[in-house]
This record gives sequence, structure tokens and C-alpha cells, in this order.
Amino acid sequence: MTDKTLNFLQFLKSGEYKKMRKHAESFGECPLTAEKHLESFKTALELCRPVLFAEYDDFGFNRDSDLTMMWGSGNVTPNYLRILNTGFDGVKEQIKQSISNTHNIGRKKYGRMMLSCIDLCLDYSDRFRDEIKDKNDRLYKALLKVPHGPAESFYEACVFIKLCIFFLRLIYTDHIGLGRFDQYMYGFFLADKRRGVSCEELFETLENFFISLNFDTDLYWGMQQGDNGQSMVLGGFDVDGNYLYNELSEMCMKASLELCIIDPKINLRVGKNTPEEVFESATLLTKQGLGFPQYCNDDVVIPGLIKLGYDKHDAYDYVVAACWEFIVPNCGADTPNYHLLDFPLVIGNMIKNELCESKSFDELMEKARLAVANECERLLELGKIVVRVENPLLSVFMDGCIESLLDTWSGGTKYRNLGSHGVGISSAADALAAIKKNVFDEKTISAQQLTDALEMNFEGCEEIRNLLLDSPKMGNNDAYVDSIASELMASFSKHFNNKPNIFGGIWRAGTGSAQNYVYASKTCPATADGRRSGQPYPSSFSPSLETKSAGLLSVIQSFTKYDLSDIINGGPLTIEIHDSVLRNDIGIKKTAQLVKKYIEFGGHQLQLNSVNREKLIDAQKHPENHKNLIVRVWGWSGYFNELDVEFQDHIIKRCEYII
Amino acid sequence: MVKGCIFSIEEFSVYDGPGIRSTVFLKGCPLSCEWCHNPEGQDAGIQIVKSPNGCVGCGACFENAVQENGKTVFMERSIKKCPMKLLRYCGKMTESTELCSKLLANREFLSDGGVTFSGGEPFFQSGFLFECLEQLKGKMHTAIQTSGFCESAVFARATELADHFLFDLKLFDEAQHIKYTGVSNRLILENFRFLAKSGKDLTVRIPLIPGVTDTYENIDGLCRLMSESGIYYAELMPYNKMAGGKYKLLGKTYSPSFDETLTPDIRADIFEKYCIKILVL
Ligand code: SF4
Repeated sequence: MTDKTLNFLQFLKSGEYKKMRKHAESFGECPLTAEKHLESFKTALELCRPVLFAEYDDFGFNRDSDLTMMWGSGNVTPNYLRILNTGFDGVKEQIKQSISNTHNIGRKKYGRMMLSCIDLCLDYSDRFRDEIKDKNDRLYKALLKVPHGPAESFYEACVFIKLCIFFLRLIYTDHIGLGRFDQYMYGFFLADKRRGVSCEELFETLENFFISLNFDTDLYWGMQQGDNGQSMVLGGFDVDGNYLYNELSEMCMKASLELCIIDPKINLRVGKNTPEEVFESATLLTKQGLGFPQYCNDDVVIPGLIKLGYDKHDAYDYVVAACWEFIVPNCGADTPNYHLLDFPLVIGNMIKNELCESKSFDELMEKARLAVANECERLLELGKIVVRVENPLLSVFMDGCIESLLDTWSGGTKYRNLGSHGVGISSAADALAAIKKNVFDEKTISAQQLTDALEMNFEGCEEIRNLLLDSPKMGNNDAYVDSIASELMASFSKHFNNKPNIFGGIWRAGTGSAQNYVYASKTCPATADGRRSGQPYPSSFSPSLETKSAGLLSVIQSFTKYDLSDIINGGPLTIEIHDSVLRNDIGIKKTAQLVKKYIEFGGHQLQLNSVNREKLIDAQKHPENHKNLIVRVWGWSGYFNELDVEFQDHIIKRCEYII
Repeated sequence: MVKGCIFSIEEFSVYDGPGIRSTVFLKGCPLSCEWCHNPEGQDAGIQIVKSPNGCVGCGACFENAVQENGKTVFMERSIKKCPMKLLRYCGKMTESTELCSKLLANREFLSDGGVTFSGGEPFFQSGFLFECLEQLKGKMHTAIQTSGFCESAVFARATELADHFLFDLKLFDEAQHIKYTGVSNRLILENFRFLAKSGKDLTVRIPLIPGVTDTYENIDGLCRLMSESGIYYAELMPYNKMAGGKYKLLGKTYSPSFDETLTPDIRADIFEKYCIKILVL
């Protein structure tokens, strides 16, 4: 790391920049129409001007105020490359062309709003350029070219992206991923190299770009800090089976490793043919404890997306939207986080109403499948009253919108699919397995006793609860319970996947939870896996918190039995390993082998965290000593000290059973 | 068929031999090293342990316990009645066939690695250990992590069955060995020399206990022994202050006589003198 980078990094970590901001009232509710978006964009720009924080900052476009705004649209990956190659002036010409090509007044109007948005961006960036003229020559020169014209160098391209993010965020766009940065930026990278730019210089630019993405990450509406969706996807196979992991991919990994900051969040696309060295350098990154990279398995995700109707070449281009949602960049305006199927609640209600009437476990299981099917139906019905906002600036970045002059979600883009989380799958499967064992197979608890105990939240029913806790649990490679989980997932995907939604797209079933492992669980009564009322669910697709599993090999086998390409909305298996495992090359190599095995077994997504429970407990007690402790929360990493205590507790609990 | 008593299986153990391994921990140990970090491995029988974290103080465990010689002994009902599920059995009787089929179920993961038997001292249940090794022979790579404390004939049989040995060398001086581990090291050294001569795969492991095993004399003695036996690689395990972490679980107190706060000395120069390569774990 160069001195310049180090200074910039220290400036970021000092938090000084936060004190330099003026205060601005938050923007509440997101307006629906394009007109209102444009209006509020103007106001936002007045309240929140772009600034350059320090002399070693080569990117600028940070906020001069603490303005936050409510979540509007996002969770998509814009086509940065098209904009980088065209420049805003060129884009304006394209829009004008489209306006003159259509007679539709509504579309013409929409096109003009797109133009107004771009004009605002140009205006503010020109003014900013002139302001910094004497402060940063490099940035000044870059801004003479971009955003008006196309980017030519790697640096200009980075500046352009940073500027786009700045503007998009001020028009109610959040959680916009960086997509396959190592692929679309590779051309600029190579061109620079051909021009004689050294790898060291390119690396410095890259590192400083990464650092610059970390300012303003606290300015998100109602989010835990870190949950901002700035995901970056590296690697991946092309249609011919080549693994695309280039020099820039490796540099991104190295920068993330060196900088140890929470943005961008690194996702790595891999498959069974990914070379072992890539897994090894990824494991080195895991060792840093940031929870990077998150692995996505091309061998499972791509066929899964094709089954959902995505074109082959689009499926091969998939990215992670913000946390772990698999989407298609550029032409996909999917909303994978639309709602959630709360498995423990749905199965819990079924048990409450039906257990005493059921004569066999098969009968109960039939009712469980039906309960999931009915819930799918309810969710699909609920999904018909979606309101969508119109965001003319975002549409500029989404393929198809400029040609059609339609909004991203009103038909402008190719894919407009919606998705649902599948929360607490293991907890629900464990509950059914515990009933199978105790009520039907061994008859140690009667149906009535169990329903009463659940009603009482296990108050005075310790023995019953302990029997339930001692029953087969997902994560032990035990077919007794794993097969139940498979049936629940099969029912979800069968009754949900590919059903039409009101945007002309389809619905997608998934295994994620987002924050709902804490929020949804709060109102869920006691469940038959032994979980007390209000206790959290496991995060995404993971063993329940009370489970002492047989170990990592068993967990991996339990969670790869089902054909996960059937339930591919996203949602990782989360595994914690103690940081002492990664203390030397031997541990790194073996951990890399383990990840590879997970991929070979058909896992779809893996979140591997290196943790140290003692350290976390100490950090909770003495936050002042652990200011830089970063942990993975759900689809993102954050500073441990800045998390709400219930998320801290959940993370500590997750680590309980590792040695 | 003899039944064995195991207290844990660790899947994905990375520092117990080549490749990805599962480590089986057998109960019972004839030594009582002061620094033992697996105290639940010392006692041969099944015990009831109680986690010290999360107790709400309801007293249910004590109500269901009995008093023996002035000591509280928890019973099965204590386990069942604890609302926080803090009590559990430590140790489980299992047949070798059952254990081996469980281990073989993970064969796909363990193809480059295998199984390591640890403890306690695995030779403490040598009958059970041999049954397992016989069943795994030819199917999976096996390793034994041992203190080397067992009868020579038993040890010789093991060298025929297992593929790899992780052999602990603690103290070279007999009196010191007796002082800190409770037993003489005569058998241990004899077995070590035998093993080295046999040409079996062998990894020496030295726990570095501050002021006890990390002294100049001791490391020099151990290095001499190794070099005389033609062994030029050792893994060092510096003392970790977490060693005492599990004593409370057993209702025991951990009170080592050495100074825990000192950082163990690696003594790289001595190893170098004897041309012994080291890896610090
Ligand atoms: S029963 Fe459990 S919670 Fe109650 S006093 Fe004993 S250990 Fe504590």
C-alpha cells in the first residue's frame, strides 16, 4: 500500500469526515412518480453537494451533509459499462433520438425527465470540477472528460462510477451493486497497461477507489451500518466453460485483503472447475475476518436461473444484487426481496391446528406441504398489490429503457421478476422431525402435551423441551430431518417458482432471510424444535442456533442434499470457523479444499466467516478496545460496535459451537 | 466386540495429520499433565458436565442431584430438568462398527486426509482402538495422536495397523516427567525409538509450556533424542491461555504451578542446531 493510500485509509478510519458534514433533514416517504423523483432530486442536490474530503482523495463525490432518504428503488445492478463507454452527452443524444422516434406523449415526457436528470448530474459535476480545480489536478483533469464524454482510462472509469453512485443515491436509489467489476473494467485496465501504466499505479487507483466507496455508508435510511448493497462480483464461467478470473480479479481480492474495510463486499463466482489457487487466495481473504468473499456456485446458480426462464447468456452473466440475491445485471430489474415465507410460523400454525387430529406423521407431513402451498398462494395474492416507483435516472442505466422510454419497472427492462425469502427452513424441518420422533415414532410426548407445551412457551415443560432439543436436527447429515427440509423446499418452489407477477415477470423462491431472522422471529410463538417464543431463527440457510451439529462436514452434507438450483433466489449457508484454523498455510489450504468440496456437493452459496468468540464477547464488553472489529452480519459486513445488540448476540451465539 | 467411550468427534480438523481429517476423541488417560486442555478426556467413564454460561439459577439441577462424599453428583434428571439445557453427558458408549460407518460416511471429504484417534490417550482403550483400525484399514488413512504411554507389545501392534503417528514429546528428564504428568517417560521413550526405527510416518509434537518444557535443557534433550532417532521435523504447540477453559465444565479448578502469563520460548536456535525443521501451530 502506498503512503497516499495509507493516508486516505487513515482519514477514513478516523471518522473525521463525519464531523465535516452539515445537517440536513431526512427525506421521508419515497414519491411514486417520475416528476416527483425529479423534483426531490433537485432539492437533494441542493442539500447535499458533492465534496472532496482530503487532498489524497482522488475521487471526491462524497456528501457535504448528513442527508438520508427513505428506501425507494434498488437492488439492481446498473449497466455502468454502457454509460462509461458512451458518456452522458452521448446518452443524451440517444434519449433525444428515442424521443423523436416516438409519438407517445407519455414516453416523450419520460424521456425528457431522463434528460433533466442527466443535466442535473452534469451541472453539479461541472461545478464540482471547477471547485476542485486547485485542489486535485488529477481529478480535475478526469472531470474535464467524464461524465460528459466516455471514460478512457481505468482511473476515469472509476471516477465515473463513483459519480454515478453519488447521484443515483440522491434519487432514492439504494443497494446498487457494482456487478462484475473485474469483467467490465478489464478493458480499461488492459488499455492502461498497454499505454505503459504500471501495475503499482493501477493498484493504487483501485485501492483508493475502494476506500472512497466507504464514505457515506452510514447515510442509509434505517439500516444497520454496512447494509448498503455495494457488492462486487469477481470471477465466473463463460458459456464456453472458461473461468474468467483475470489480473484485475486478483487485484480486487488483494486490495480487499489489504484494506480491511467493509466496502465493496466481495463475492466470488466459482464452480467445480475453478482452480485451487483461486480458492486459496480467497481463503486468505476469509482469514481477514470480514466475511469476504461470499462464494456463489455457477454450477448450480446458472442452471437454476435458466429454469426460471432467463436467457442462457444472461444467466451466465449473473451477479449478486446487494447481499446474496442472484440477479442479472443491466437488463434485470428483479426484486428478489419482495416478501418472505416464514417457515417456522407457517408450520407452527399448522401444528397447532392439526397435530392432535393427525393419526400418522405422513398425514401431518401432507398437511405441512399443503400449508406451504397455501402460504405461497397467499403471498402471490399479496404480490398483486405492488406499488412501483418511477425513477428516471436509474432507468438511464438499465438496458432497454432508453430505447423504449419506459421506466425500469414499467416494461423498460427485460426481466422484472419478484422473489421471496424462505426464512427459517431448518427450524421448521427440525420442528417436524422432533414431532416425528417424539410423538409418532417413540411416543415419548403426546400430541396434546406438545401443543400445550408450545402454548405455554415451554414454561414448566423443561423435560419436553429438552426432548425436542435432543431430536434430529438439520446440520448433522441425518436423512431423518434433511428429507423433511427437502420436502418443504420442494413444496415452496413448486407452488411459487415461475408463477406470473403483475410486472409481466415471474416469482422466484429462495433460501434467504435478510434481517428477518431477527425481526420475523420476534413475533413467532414457541416452535416444536424447542425454540422459545421470540428467539431468533437461523440466518438464511443455516442450522438452527440451538443445534450442536456434528461438524462442518455434516453441515455441508445436510445443506446440499436438496437440488438448490430449484430455489435460487439466493440465501447462503453460513459457516463459522475459528480464526485459529487459518493461522498458517496448512489451515488455509485445507479450508480452501473444504470450500471446493462444498461446491462439488452442489451448494449454491456459501458464507464462510472466520471468527473468535472470545474476541466478540470482549468487544461487547469493551467496545473501545475493538473499534475496527468487522463481522459478517447477513449479506454484508459491518463494524461489530455499530450493530444493534440483538445482532451482536446472534453472531456470538452462532459461534458457540465451534472450537 | 468391545464398546468404546468417546467424548467428541471433530469434523474438519486441520492440524491432526495430513489432509482434511475427522478426529475422534477417546476417553481415559493414564497421564495427568498439568496443562491438559482436554480434562474431560482424563476420566475413563461417562460424566455429566454443566456449562457455566447462561445459568438462570433456578436450582433444578441441584434438586435432582445426589451427594456423594460431600460432593454434588448430577443425575440424568438434572439434565432433563435444566430449562437452559446446560447439562449434558460427556462420553458416549459406541461400538466400533457404528463409529466406523459414521466416519466412512464422510469419505468423500476425507479422501486426501482421514481419521485421527486422539483423546485422552487412545491406547487407554486399545481393544476398541484396534477394532476401529482393523475396520478402516485399506478404506481410510488413519492416524493416532498419542502420549506414547502404553505397553510395548500394544504399541507394536498399533504400528502395524495405523498409517501415521502424532507423537507427543513433553519432557526428556524422567523426574520432571513424573512431576508434571504423573508418570515416568521410560516407556514413552522406548516406544518412540521403536516407532522411529519402524519407518512409520511420524510427526513429533512438543507442547511448549512456559518454564516447564520450553527450557534449554529440555528442548536440547528432545532434539538430541530426535536426531539420534533420525527424525528431523517437529510441530510445536505453544501454551494457550485457553487451556483451562473446560475445567469449570467438570466442576474442577485449573491451577497450574507454572506461570501462565509467560510467553513460551520457541527455541528455534536449538532446533536449527540439530537441523530439525519446525512448524509452530
Ligand atoms: S438447572 Fe440449569 S439453569 Fe437451573 S441452576 Fe441448574 S444449570 Fe442453572
